[in-house]
Amino acid sequence: MDTVRQDVRYALRMLWKHRFATFVCAGALALGIGANTAIFSMAEAFLLHPVPLEDVNRIVAMVDSQPQRVENSPVAPATYLEWQSQANSFEQVGAYAWDGVNFTGDTTPQKIQDFLVTTNFFSVLGVQPQLGRDFLAEEGQPGRNQELILSHGLWERRYASDPKILGKTVKVNGKPFTIVGVMAKGFDYPMSAEAWLPMAFDAKARVDREHRQLWVLGRLKPKVSIVQAKAEMLTLARRQADAFPDFYKSFQLRVLPLGEYTAGDLNRQYTLLLLGAVAFVLLIACADVANVQFARVSGRQKELAVRTAMGASRSRIVRQLLIESVMLSLFGAVIGLFVAQWALTLILSHMPPDIARYVAGWKTIHLDLGAFLFTFVIALASGIISGIAPSLMSSRANISETLKESGRGASSGRARHRLRGALVIAEVALSLILLVGAGLLVKGFHALLSVNQRYHPETLLTLNLDLPDVQYPQKSARAAFHDQLLASLATIPRVQSAAMATAVPYSNGGGISGDGFSIENRPLEKREEARSAIMETISPNYFALMNIGLRDGRVFADSDADNTQPVAVISGSLARRYFPDENPLGKKVRVGDDDSNPWLTVVGVVDDVHYNWLQKNDVPTLYRPYRQNPPRYTTVVLRTDGDPLAFVSAVRSKFAAIDSELPIYEVKSLDVVINESIVGIAYVAAMMAAIGVIALVLASVGVYGVMSYSVSERTHEMGIRMAMGATAAAIHRLIIGNGMLLTAIGIAIGLPLAFGLARALSSLLFGVSAADPFAFIGLPLILASVAALASYLPARRAVRVDPLTALRYE
Amino acid sequence: MTESNGILIKMEGVKKVFYTDEVETHALSEIHLEILKGQYISIAGPSGCGKSTLLSILGLLDSPTDGNYWLNGQPVSKLTISERTRIRNREIGFIFQAFNLIGDLTVYENVELPLTYRGTGAAERKQKVQHALERVGMAHRLRHYPSQLSGGQQQRVAVARALVGDPLILMADEPTGNLDSKNGEAVMELLRDLHRNGATICMVTHDERYAHFAERNIHLFDGRIVDETREVGASA
Repeated sequence: MDTVRQDVRYALRMLWKHRFATFVCAGALALGIGANTAIFSMAEAFLLHPVPLEDVNRIVAMVDSQPQRVENSPVAPATYLEWQSQANSFEQVGAYAWDGVNFTGDTTPQKIQDFLVTTNFFSVLGVQPQLGRDFLAEEGQPGRNQELILSHGLWERRYASDPKILGKTVKVNGKPFTIVGVMAKGFDYPMSAEAWLPMAFDAKARVDREHRQLWVLGRLKPKVSIVQAKAEMLTLARRQADAFPDFYKSFQLRVLPLGEYTAGDLNRQYTLLLLGAVAFVLLIACADVANVQFARVSGRQKELAVRTAMGASRSRIVRQLLIESVMLSLFGAVIGLFVAQWALTLILSHMPPDIARYVAGWKTIHLDLGAFLFTFVIALASGIISGIAPSLMSSRANISETLKESGRGASSGRARHRLRGALVIAEVALSLILLVGAGLLVKGFHALLSVNQRYHPETLLTLNLDLPDVQYPQKSARAAFHDQLLASLATIPRVQSAAMATAVPYSNGGGISGDGFSIENRPLEKREEARSAIMETISPNYFALMNIGLRDGRVFADSDADNTQPVAVISGSLARRYFPDENPLGKKVRVGDDDSNPWLTVVGVVDDVHYNWLQKNDVPTLYRPYRQNPPRYTTVVLRTDGDPLAFVSAVRSKFAAIDSELPIYEVKSLDVVINESIVGIAYVAAMMAAIGVIALVLASVGVYGVMSYSVSERTHEMGIRMAMGATAAAIHRLIIGNGMLLTAIGIAIGLPLAFGLARALSSLLFGVSAADPFAFIGLPLILASVAALASYLPARRAVRVDPLTALRYE
Repeated sequence: MTESNGILIKMEGVKKVFYTDEVETHALSEIHLEILKGQYISIAGPSGCGKSTLLSILGLLDSPTDGNYWLNGQPVSKLTISERTRIRNREIGFIFQAFNLIGDLTVYENVELPLTYRGTGAAERKQKVQHALERVGMAHRLRHYPSQLSGGQQQRVAVARALVGDPLILMADEPTGNLDSKNGEAVMELLRDLHRNGATICMVTHDERYAHFAERNIHLFDGRIVDETREVGASA
């Protein structure tokens, strides 16, 4: 212990003595460690603690997945009910479904994010209300499901934490519901839940295998592992698929731990991508530090030889150098923690609250004990990684040669040069991979921004509304409401036009799914080849308002009404995919395959719309006029001549004049809707860009460090060369050539690896090509240019060497 | 071979060949040498004759290519690096031409170094360092750094460092090579005092004046011992 203390004291002295190098190295490590700690804190929140529940490892989610679809799929009621009655691995199996309701009748009408849950939902999760009670089993019967449980947040906001809230009646979509419980603070599962309503299955639902809306959770019995449960569930699912192939054939059951399910595959993928990227940055920083350590220990060969002569064993020398290296990285880690805190503050403060509440684990992101431990461990690892090679190599030097008056201990010099060169090559290769990854993500993000520019989203106001069944049970009532509303909104001064659609691009976080449809006289041979399209119901002026171009036929007219021929307009991609060699105009299509749905005559083809950032290719879309299919859920869009938010109060007045009980929500400009929808990928792109720039800087520091040290070591050689008549240009060529050779090898190694990454990203992102010229020509050129500059500076120093001085240099 | 007959070092047929880029350099050939306990021996010869190589092998800083070497009765020519390190730490003290003090350690810490590597406790280290520095007259410079000392003072500290672990033998490689004549004389006097007090010293020098301080002078030429003379009354 005493000797370790001595080594630590000496290490501190050495670090202080070479404080410039110490601060440069600590800075490099701080960037690497800080980035790792920040991303680790996010990963910890997203992947390790996405659900604020104890005992979370005993809860599993059972979802369906389809090949080539990123999102999981919910299951239909009949599927769930069979699992619930037949599965033996679980104490309880429950389910929830997304919902959204209007709260009225007590205070201001408000749109609430609720979930329909089976009555055992909270038991499955192992939680109970803080106030009041859980749902009773009989409240899962149709007609008895008139209770609700509030989230703590909603109780605070809407009811001012009223302790007498229990038993109070609130109108939910116009129907009376009784508040029976309030959940504890912090519990909002499924994320963002503000209220929970009991789910009831009527006779029709109990045999429904088609309408997939239930997300199923199960609590494992004691001593049953997730592997066993998975095996049982797969057997059950196979049995269902055999019995009802039409409904299950294209689906594959996934049984996931609740944490993994909640984190989501995409979030997981991008978090792992960022973790990998920052790990690369740390490796680059370690290589930089290792190079500096090589230079430093080279200058200390004599000291190390003396220590060895005095009886220091090789391990003792290695230990001493490693302690120095670890002290350096710990110093870097301390600064890194500040970098991480700053980065997290930046990341957290720029996330819109409306989005953050849908990101599992977001609110738990902070620097915690785990992050501190992680930082400590990676600092230790960085210290060892960056110090081990210089230490081992230095401890091998020839002592007696080094101890001579002019001895320089150069016996391991060649090996050291090779290793330092290899480190620079690795740095360049890693940097190129990161740069290409960052470049592609940024490019993809820009493609997303530009694809939406045609809408001029900055002058569009969007808002959502749900027409409750109670007040608007008839189609005619809903159509009349929309007629009146759109006419009224269009009269607002400086509103150029008002339209409506079921969903505008990027609304609902981009989560717009398709539905099946049929084509007249073309029955499907196999169900798995089902035709699918996004179903939009719009007002006739929607295309014009959104600048969606007409390709063929006509758009809707005001005359397309309930009593005229049912019509549809289709997107170009639908026409290409389902009517490849024919004119789709005049063809008849039908939503779903239910005979009760009318055949719609295709009257027009319009340009495709990009609905979400995950969408790699155009998605077929089928439009219907709202007068023929008046929707319950609507997005109203207003084209204004300025800042759309300036029109909100006028819009609210118009709504209040038509239906004062109807809440409107998600009142935003389309610009904001789009930005919020792509904020996740924007974050990833911005972080990757920052990581790429850091990597570029660190790699150039590495090239500079190696070339600079090489020039110092070769001062004598430079003197000889110049004495022999070498020109400044020749010396420049020599030094820059060496630097560029290392860079070229690094780029040659990095390019194929970067191409692999590009292929993976191009399959994930819109607007990203695996063979992107900017990524594979532009970025390597940028890297090479920076490396050339980093080599030029030492080269300039080399040509200033006075041959006479250099020849005396030893 | 036992140490009871007073032989501290014995070499038989020691050779050292350096191999660099397909070139063989025979630095030492057929070295036969005995050093008795308490002897003061100098090794002299022209530049490149193998003096320092011989001293490196004697000091276990290097190993012979061939031949046998016993130190205090123990065969040491084929030891592992770690065994050589351990013996060097306990049995051999070094004094170098360039002093080889560590610039970032104080005088105290420099002298303490061999004891640190030996695992000696702090209290014992302190007492021994103090004693060694007193022997060379440098106890008043404990907290100084080498750069704050004159060359002669630095070499005294180096001698203290060589002495501090009570080694069997002191190996001195041109100990006056970097000193002016006055300081050189002082260091040689110091070595003579140590010898008088029983220390065994093996010194490499090319300075005839200082060779005569030793009682045995060995002459090397082209890696071979070509002559040996004894000084009458040396060190006395």
